[in-house]
Amino acid sequence: MNLWRDIKGTLQPFWITLGYLFKKPVTIQYPEEKRTPPPRYRARIVLTRNPDGTERCVACQLCSAACPVDCISMQAAEDGDGRRYAGWFRINFARCIFCGLCAEACPTMAIQTTPDYEICNRDLLKLVQEKEDLLIDGCGKDMEYNYYEHAGIGVANERGGNEDEYGPVDPKALVP
Amino acid sequence: MNELLISLILILVKLGLIFGVVLTMAAYLVLAERKILGRMQMRYGPNRIGPGGMIQPLCDVIKLITKEDFVPARADKWIFLFAPGLTALTALLSFAVVPFSPPMTLFGREIPMVVCDLSIGLLYLFGLSSLAVYGVVLGGWASNSKYSLLGAMRGLAQMLSYELSLGLALVPVVMTAKSFSLTEIVMAQSTWPNMLQHPLAFIIFMISITAESKRTPFDMPEAENEIVAGFHTEYSGMRFGLFFVGEYINLIVIGAMTTVFFLGGWNGPFLPPVVWFVGKILFVAFLFIWARGSMPRPRYDQLLRFGWKVLIPLALLNVVITGAIRLAMNG
Amino acid sequence: MPKLTIDNLEVTVPEGINVLEAARELDIIIPHFCYHEALGSVGSCRLCAMMFVDGPVKGLQMACMIQAQDGMVVSSTDPDAIELREHVIEWAMTNHPHDCPVCDEGGECQLQEMTVAGGHGVRRYSGKKCTFTNQNLGPFVQQEMNRCITCYRCVRTYRDYCGGTDYGVFGSRNRIQYARFREGALESPFSGNIIDACPTGVLTSKPFRFKTRLWDLQEAPSICPHCSLGCATVPGGRYREVQRVKAGINRETNGFFICDRGRFGYDHVNHPERPRQGRLDGQPVTVNAALLAAREQVTAIASKHGPDSVAFLGSSRSSFEASVLLHDWAKATGSQQLVFEAHQGRDRAARTLTAQLGKHVRSQEELRQSDLVILFGADPLAEGPMLALAIRQAVRNGGKVVVIDPRPVELPCAASYLPLSPEKLPEVLVALGKKDFNAFEADERVLLESLVEQLKSAQRPVLIGGADLLGGKGVQALCAAAEKFTSDERSVGVITLLAGPNSYGGALLAGDGPDFDSILDAVQEGTVRALVCLESDPFREARDPARAHAALGHLELLVSFDSTPNLAAQRADIFLPTRANAEMAGSYVNNEGRLQAFMPVIDPGVPIRETGAGNHPPREFFQITPGSSPEADWLLLAGLLERELDLVGLRESIEKDHPPFAGLSSIAAETTGVRLTAQGTLPPAEEQELPHAADSEALTLMAITGQIGSCWLAHLSSPLAATEPQPYVILHPELAAELNLAADERARLTTHFGHCHIVIRTDEKMLKSLILVPQLWDTALEGMVPGGMLDCRLEKEAQR
Repeated sequence: MNLWRDIKGTLQPFWITLGYLFKKPVTIQYPEEKRTPPPRYRARIVLTRNPDGTERCVACQLCSAACPVDCISMQAAEDGDGRRYAGWFRINFARCIFCGLCAEACPTMAIQTTPDYEICNRDLLKLVQEKEDLLIDGCGKDMEYNYYEHAGIGVANERGGNEDEYGPVDPKALVP
Repeated sequence: MNELLISLILILVKLGLIFGVVLTMAAYLVLAERKILGRMQMRYGPNRIGPGGMIQPLCDVIKLITKEDFVPARADKWIFLFAPGLTALTALLSFAVVPFSPPMTLFGREIPMVVCDLSIGLLYLFGLSSLAVYGVVLGGWASNSKYSLLGAMRGLAQMLSYELSLGLALVPVVMTAKSFSLTEIVMAQSTWPNMLQHPLAFIIFMISITAESKRTPFDMPEAENEIVAGFHTEYSGMRFGLFFVGEYINLIVIGAMTTVFFLGGWNGPFLPPVVWFVGKILFVAFLFIWARGSMPRPRYDQLLRFGWKVLIPLALLNVVITGAIRLAMNG
Repeated sequence: MPKLTIDNLEVTVPEGINVLEAARELDIIIPHFCYHEALGSVGSCRLCAMMFVDGPVKGLQMACMIQAQDGMVVSSTDPDAIELREHVIEWAMTNHPHDCPVCDEGGECQLQEMTVAGGHGVRRYSGKKCTFTNQNLGPFVQQEMNRCITCYRCVRTYRDYCGGTDYGVFGSRNRIQYARFREGALESPFSGNIIDACPTGVLTSKPFRFKTRLWDLQEAPSICPHCSLGCATVPGGRYREVQRVKAGINRETNGFFICDRGRFGYDHVNHPERPRQGRLDGQPVTVNAALLAAREQVTAIASKHGPDSVAFLGSSRSSFEASVLLHDWAKATGSQQLVFEAHQGRDRAARTLTAQLGKHVRSQEELRQSDLVILFGADPLAEGPMLALAIRQAVRNGGKVVVIDPRPVELPCAASYLPLSPEKLPEVLVALGKKDFNAFEADERVLLESLVEQLKSAQRPVLIGGADLLGGKGVQALCAAAEKFTSDERSVGVITLLAGPNSYGGALLAGDGPDFDSILDAVQEGTVRALVCLESDPFREARDPARAHAALGHLELLVSFDSTPNLAAQRADIFLPTRANAEMAGSYVNNEGRLQAFMPVIDPGVPIRETGAGNHPPREFFQITPGSSPEADWLLLAGLLERELDLVGLRESIEKDHPPFAGLSSIAAETTGVRLTAQGTLPPAEEQELPHAADSEALTLMAITGQIGSCWLAHLSSPLAATEPQPYVILHPELAAELNLAADERARLTTHFGHCHIVIRTDEKMLKSLILVPQLWDTALEGMVPGGMLDCRLEKEAQR
């Protein structure tokens, strides 16, 4: 009967909540207890280096374009050998929502997320981090990739010196 | 002259006591509600400030007082500022007629343990609970926000609908006590609490008073997930605090009303009457918190339909039956 | 009007356009690389394939090569066409490097878009890629040849459209390289256009290198502030600086291209010494305080010494709205001393032009269709470079060009030259009308007589004059000659190169007021005590700077509104910072009376590059952007005059007060603009000649506008300033031989300014008796105001 079902439906939840009242809460008490995040956890963002120790970031602006909260800003600059790099690079962690889209957009594996989640600070300016703060000495998740060895514009190697390239042609040669 | 002065001092002392006790209780009810709800959801609830979160209410008050008192542009400023006070005030005033213990004899004089034992205390309570909705309506209207206005309208309609069944549910109680005075009503229950004499009236009363006081599951006027926070969407700081405190004082008033009308007031074995009284209030408060942790909110039209089509006919029927039985018994 | 069906939609298109354009009418964009509206079709990229289902042409064809004809049924979504396009993209991508992240074209790359649109995603070619060696193509263009997809657009732009000769194509099959024969700077003054033309990242802008992606760039349609032609541009800015300028599209003026001066001359906006703060008696104050002080002090002087004691000097650089408000201010003060150009000759030329142009007005587009172009004392590459490009298009369309000028006028096309001294220019115009050439030498006579015949028979002739050399008298003669040769069937067109983007607008407002030289006299006499300069520099722009310096010292009050660090701004008693063209909305009237609106790109502020000193921006927070106090010139004046403070309201009220400017409130940016019908007034009659001592021993030196270095705004722009030459003079090789001088030699030039060291250049096309010296800012030749003649001595420098 409907009325019986309604009355039961009204009273049953009371019984259940009463039961929960005496169970142990599942909350992890953060500062005292901590959990280990999985290795692919998306927290602090770092800039990694190539296997040869040079900076991976080429300041292509793709991470800042992908960023939904506009927390990344940078200015590209040019090195003597034509290498494009970040003259300055700034992440405002006070704005960052740790969505990981920047790491997904990065074509050079430079920007990566790490499981270090304890970045809170009362001083907002300490959350605005510059390139020096973000750069780590290491390759992060990919130990081999070096973008300029695949770019094909003669920065890491001579022009035409990458393994998938012929040497520069001589356009003035008379051979057909 | 001397007599007058003493009674005045006595009233002031009682006022002060009630004021202090009720406000402290309201503050700790907030904490209790948060903790109980937390445990029902397998969380701890506030436990950071003081042992077991005991200083949390104080911190909340400090926070609310230091927050910006914000008045929206194009709001009706004076009504907007005045409305929250009205809510808290009406809730506090209700306590004037609530007896919390039998009259005491001190230094040879009998002191009624109620601020003012009105012979029409029950009607006074009804009048104040109707006034309480003014705070909601004025606050909602003055905010110049669509959510607030919707919340205020809901509060008003809900109060009007359930006031009727609430009143009708209390008619049997008055019939039994043959008086509108709350002290008389409690005295009449010295053997059996009304709850057992009038079970149907008790159930109708509990449902109606929940709707009347806008507690979950009948919290349509503030329904967070539909109309943000209803009538107090635009309020901030201590003005929001007044609405909030008003709600919890109201919870104590409800507890006191339920205790007085149905649970036999201060009557009880072994323990002193005041302890029984306060204990019963707290139990009722727990019931409401428990309901909040267990019940979902019905739809607004369902609420009104239930009030008009089920509760009022049921309450009328109850009055008729009770009247008939009493007539038959008195013969 | 052929009617054809494209993708089941019917469209009627004008005669002679191709199917690709016809599809664009329907908003169907067919992928393409090599086709460009201004360059035409060549069908070399093979990307715009469409299936011609029915009609006069059938089968899979290149849409850009087929003219739209009646009854065609074409499909762009045919599986065969889609498959072909997919393959073509894949071929184009076989050698393309994987360097999009470090390529400046990324984000605005046609190749990227077409690759995605064509459906090519995964590389199937596993062989090795071809690579090339890059060339250093000078300060403007950066080359990365590995990215090339051989569409030929750069060569067609550079050689065919712009008339450059030093850049071309080498090699065959997959060795094709676009380059100069030897590494070196591109010589054409229109070289920047190949940056816009290149569909991928082979040719990118060097000053803009690694600066900003398109999506971060703030862009808005604007008008070039560097000359009087009013070309459409699209400046782009980020981090509080203007970082580049792209050509805008205005089919009536510049078409699709702009010159290098316009493209790389944006940096004056970001100049480190730009005054950004209001100033009152040497103390920095807020703009409001300076504005109030200016009004108060000008009113005080006017009421004390009579309204004519205040003079107002506008400029060709300020917006039309501001010029109108300056005019209104002068009127409200009651002062007659209002002039819009400090240089007397340019001022008179502009005013005469506005009074007499009438139906002879021609746009650049009409010039491109002309069949006879005669230049009288006009040097387009110096005074309005895009005009030279328009003349080239006239030649490509079969037109003829004749240059009558004392200077060696360079043009990117063939032309016949008649060197004549500047005094003779008005004479020759009069003589042309009368067909009486007795005053000329025999060889000159032959050319002039044939010119008369050509002028009579030409269908769309255009006479071009330059304000520098012609002055008021010359422009009047030019218009009279045009009138004389106008027949019932066709009229002869006139285009005159003026001083700045709003010269025409200023001249319309100037009426028959005095010229600046007579105001200088009045200042010297003490009748004029206050001078208000609106974005002009009377110290350096007046025809005789020495006289201006002497006279302006007597001023009681000098008020300057400016956005550049010029002398008037530095010496002003009250200074008000204005916004540069790229920072404000407003309008200019170009040299054909075309009123065009421009929009703000960025808000003023000290560039982050400067506040951060090259590193990251400072780690501090300010309530106000540093250096953000400059306001639009019209806004300052409107505030001062208590007029409408919004542009729409201001334009409406100007329209109400000045009926000839009808249309001002309806102009919009990114349109072809509105040609004003307003007519100016001729300037007062007497035209003083500059005192010119007849020293038979001395040589005559004529100051001219140089191609590079004479434009004040361009001089303040670092990408262009880097290319500015050492001081030099040009003379005829015969004269050089007489003086025992040779090209590229250093020599000592003596004038009444003193001595200076210069480099000798020679040119055979110029007049034999003259020595030409360009005005070069911030060098010893700064005082050589174009149009002036002086005596000089030129000696070989002693061997070191």
